Amino acid sequence: MIKIIKPSLSEKILFIFLILLIILTLGSFYLLNNKCLFVKKIDLNNFKFKDKQNIAIMEVECGKVIIELDPNISPKAVNRFKKLINKGFYNGSAFYRVIENTLIQAGDIEYGNISNINYSKVGTGKSGLGKIKSELSDNFLFNAGSVAFARKENFDTEDSEFFITLIDIPIYQGEYTPIGRVIAGIDSLKKIKVGNKSTYVLKPDYIKSLRLLVN
Amino acid sequence: MRYIILIFLLFFNFSYVNADAIYNLIKIPNLEVHKVDNLNGIKYLVSKRGFVIGDTNNIKCNGINNSDLDREFNTIQNNLRDYNSNFLRKINLKFVVLCKNLEISGINTGGIPDNKFRTLILDLTFNQNYFERMIHHEIFHMIDNSFPELFKKNQWSELNNKDFSYASCSTCTDLLGLDLEITKGFLTEYSMSTAEEDMAEIYSLLKTNFKEIDLLIKKDNILTKKKNFLIKGLKEIDEKFIF
Repeated sequence: MIKIIKPSLSEKILFIFLILLIILTLGSFYLLNNKCLFVKKIDLNNFKFKDKQNIAIMEVECGKVIIELDPNISPKAVNRFKKLINKGFYNGSAFYRVIENTLIQAGDIEYGNISNINYSKVGTGKSGLGKIKSELSDNFLFNAGSVAFARKENFDTEDSEFFITLIDIPIYQGEYTPIGRVIAGIDSLKKIKVGNKSTYVLKPDYIKSLRLLVN
Repeated sequence: MRYIILIFLLFFNFSYVNADAIYNLIKIPNLEVHKVDNLNGIKYLVSKRGFVIGDTNNIKCNGINNSDLDREFNTIQNNLRDYNSNFLRKINLKFVVLCKNLEISGINTGGIPDNKFRTLILDLTFNQNYFERMIHHEIFHMIDNSFPELFKKNQWSELNNKDFSYASCSTCTDLLGLDLEITKGFLTEYSMSTAEEDMAEIYSLLKTNFKEIDLLIKKDNILTKKKNFLIKGLKEIDEKFIF
């Protein structure tokens, strides 16, 4: 005959504690592996755009990012940006350079595409369209979400690479050619992978697609 | 206690991020924005933790504290306000980095101009007797570096007596005296080191004490030619230029 032994109170507490520990461990594992969990999804239907010709939609790992281009401040730069978007050059472009909580950079057409990224040369590639002249403006404030063309040390060296600021960086005012602003989805950009010890990122996140709302 | 640590960490994190954004622009680490001068657009940056830069890590400067800054900042700003934003843009000067005990290759120096990054590094602890002059001296180097075709060294050298020749570099000689000491065609001992330094010395002395120096220059025909040479070049850059 089997004798049923009732667990003591302390054994019950220990059992509940173990169950909770397992739940917490699995939950944490899930949360840590899903960096996009708390990123609000963007639904384009919720937006009414005044100037649809100057809206770009970027798709990254955590969702959509809406960029409003500003051709009034930098017409040539916006024109170049649109041309590169229409050619599909930015699709697959890696965010190879990330300054944590500060800015993310992508757009090396030649060496920075995720399908054949060249780590030794990324950042030096060309689009094949040539350089454009800097269009600097003291009226464009570099707030969080500002999109601007990157350049070499000298002005007039902008080509295809661009960066997006994640915080306000007023010192960039008048230093870089602005393209536009992120009007929605900056939280997705804050989840872009950061390098361990350097601003250069190994196995970087990338732009899944970048298109204009209206071609 | 926990909150104090949290606030400290937040502050540290903010400074670090800011410093990285500035590094992205002018490639000098550990800087913070001190002030943006709305009159001429100069952006003053301070180093509180010091830095080592250069291809061979040959440029070093120590961090400054608030009292260093309070003591000298107005002097620097007032002297740089002699230059308008248009002139500064032409000579590639936008950022002024303030630190102390600046040295290059182990030699103390008052300032280091870097036209490529439109930056002038200034040592706040440079000898007080020559501090303002040093600012304009370094500004002249920025002018010269931006417009070398207007300040040709061979033409300048020809203004001196035929038996005189400059050293091959400013640190290849022990002619380092900065006191006003007029020798035929030169205002200071340091003027005799190289053509570049000679130009910068005359320029900075005229800029800081025009009346007295101009009178002295008028008594020396070589110095008069040198002054006219400088003015000709400077007027090419800015036709309204005055000392």
